[in-house]
Amino acid sequence: MMLARVAKDKAAGGIMFTLTLLSMVLVVVMGVGLYLKSAPVLAEYSLGDLLLSSSWKPMRGEFGFLPFVMGTIWVTVIAIAMAVPVSLLTAIYLTEYARPAIRKYVFPALDILAALPSVIYGVWGTLLIVPFISERLAPRFVEFSTGYTMLAGGIVLGVMILPLLVSLFIELITSVPGELREASISLGATRWQTTKKVVVRNVFPGLMAAVVLAVSRALGETIAVLMVCGNLPEIPRSIFDACYPIPALIANNYGEMLSLPRYEAALMFAALLLFIVVLLFNLISRVILYRIEKTFF
Amino acid sequence: MKHLLQALSLPARPRTLAANGTSGKVAPLFRPDRKFNRDEQESELIVQNLNVHIKDQHILKNIHLTIPDKKITCVIGPSGCGKSTLLKTFNRLIDSIEEVRVSGKVLLNGTDIVSSGGSEIIHLRRAMGLISQKPCPLPMSIFDNIAYGCRIHGIRGRKKLRLVAQHYLEAAGLWEEVKDRLNTPATRLSIGQQQRLCLARSLAVEPRFILADEATSALDPISSKIIEELFIKLKENYSIVMVTHTLRQALRIADNVIFMYLGEVIETGPADKVFNNPEHKLTKKYLSGVFS
Repeated sequence: MMLARVAKDKAAGGIMFTLTLLSMVLVVVMGVGLYLKSAPVLAEYSLGDLLLSSSWKPMRGEFGFLPFVMGTIWVTVIAIAMAVPVSLLTAIYLTEYARPAIRKYVFPALDILAALPSVIYGVWGTLLIVPFISERLAPRFVEFSTGYTMLAGGIVLGVMILPLLVSLFIELITSVPGELREASISLGATRWQTTKKVVVRNVFPGLMAAVVLAVSRALGETIAVLMVCGNLPEIPRSIFDACYPIPALIANNYGEMLSLPRYEAALMFAALLLFIVVLLFNLISRVILYRIEKTFF
Repeated sequence: MKHLLQALSLPARPRTLAANGTSGKVAPLFRPDRKFNRDEQESELIVQNLNVHIKDQHILKNIHLTIPDKKITCVIGPSGCGKSTLLKTFNRLIDSIEEVRVSGKVLLNGTDIVSSGGSEIIHLRRAMGLISQKPCPLPMSIFDNIAYGCRIHGIRGRKKLRLVAQHYLEAAGLWEEVKDRLNTPATRLSIGQQQRLCLARSLAVEPRFILADEATSALDPISSKIIEELFIKLKENYSIVMVTHTLRQALRIADNVIFMYLGEVIETGPADKVFNNPEHKLTKKYLSGVFS
């Protein structure tokens, strides 16, 4: 006869396996669902047309996704380019340089920042960043800008992922064993030399993984970006032009699309695109990370 | 080594390393430091009335010591008696401990270590090579581990660094084992090899002292023996301070012994005398294994 606790153990294992499997299947189901829903538009237009055309006139049946793809990529690039250096230096300061008293107050503040709903970042961007760009920054470079620009989107997004990156970086840097620092310092290295050449180097793959996570989040972020980036379906020529990232496109048009079946399919295709981009990005970065780890460690 | 000297256009130091059969002259990579790395002089380490408090605890109590030049000095005593803390005050690693207060003097060539600051500390740490309990190779290749110390002090040039790496790897008895894979990550070495790599890394910045904090306690007996033999060879050129838990090890290699108990130095002197004819009751008890 099987003991009750052994049976429980087996049942627990089984249930957890099923739940894990379920969440895995969910991803596949979502992908397949999106594909089926976007099938009408895929049947009518070639993939090349959809991805490379820049003309977006749903009422006339023209679905070019290039502006949205470019908008998504640029906003994400700006956000990452701004957030990564700042958050890395912040994390280094807090872990390697700051006194414990400072850490005690800054860590909870970071957690609060990370927990703020994104709509608040959007409001902040509309109230502060957008006017700042249209009145102060843009006039120095271009003739006219509404302030609802790719730059505004990038800044808001950058600020949004900043706390996430900082706390991930801190976690990684504190995981570096103290003996490594001591080894470097006892050779006569300064703190900065130790940080740069030993600590950061030691967690480099981890840092990259954290950036990948942040990029994935930035790619999908909707509300805050939608509120500040202008939402014009045109390929942006400068950072002071409006842009229209894919998540914003879906969120903005979700209500009105139902009247036109092809429009609905096109939006579903946008969702599928985002889904694939994030998936591929994660996959490729995993492979790269694996390579890095193999050569350095 | 000859062109190395020429490249640096500095006079050769009459310091030779006889470790592992190699007996080439060590090129002076570094200009002799005015305070800590002065060459001509005997570099005794003199500790005067040293007190260390961490938080509310009195860790080291009124320590008076003289650590002789070019000898192996073993610090023995039960765990928690402040051996490692003593070592950490010598190279100021103690600075990284929170809420620590150090008073008294530790004199190296007449310069006080305790009160030195700024760039002096960097020179001091260079003069005090540290070998820690657990070998701790830096996350880079074997070659870069040795070159690292030279690079942080501003010495460049791959050719030059390669010669340095070879020289000190030979000194640490590791060259033959790694010469064909200098560019592989150092973490792939066995733990005993890693410890010898750490030794070579420390030697490459040309220290005066070697501070070994239970340097063999994580190693297998054979690797421990190799390290001990290396230390005996290295004492020709370096003063070695070794914290050890194993009395037998102290018996084997110590010229001088410091016995510590609860933050105080109980007895100190030549190894022969302390081991065979201890003055203090506590020392006798410790040596006979009453406590450990």
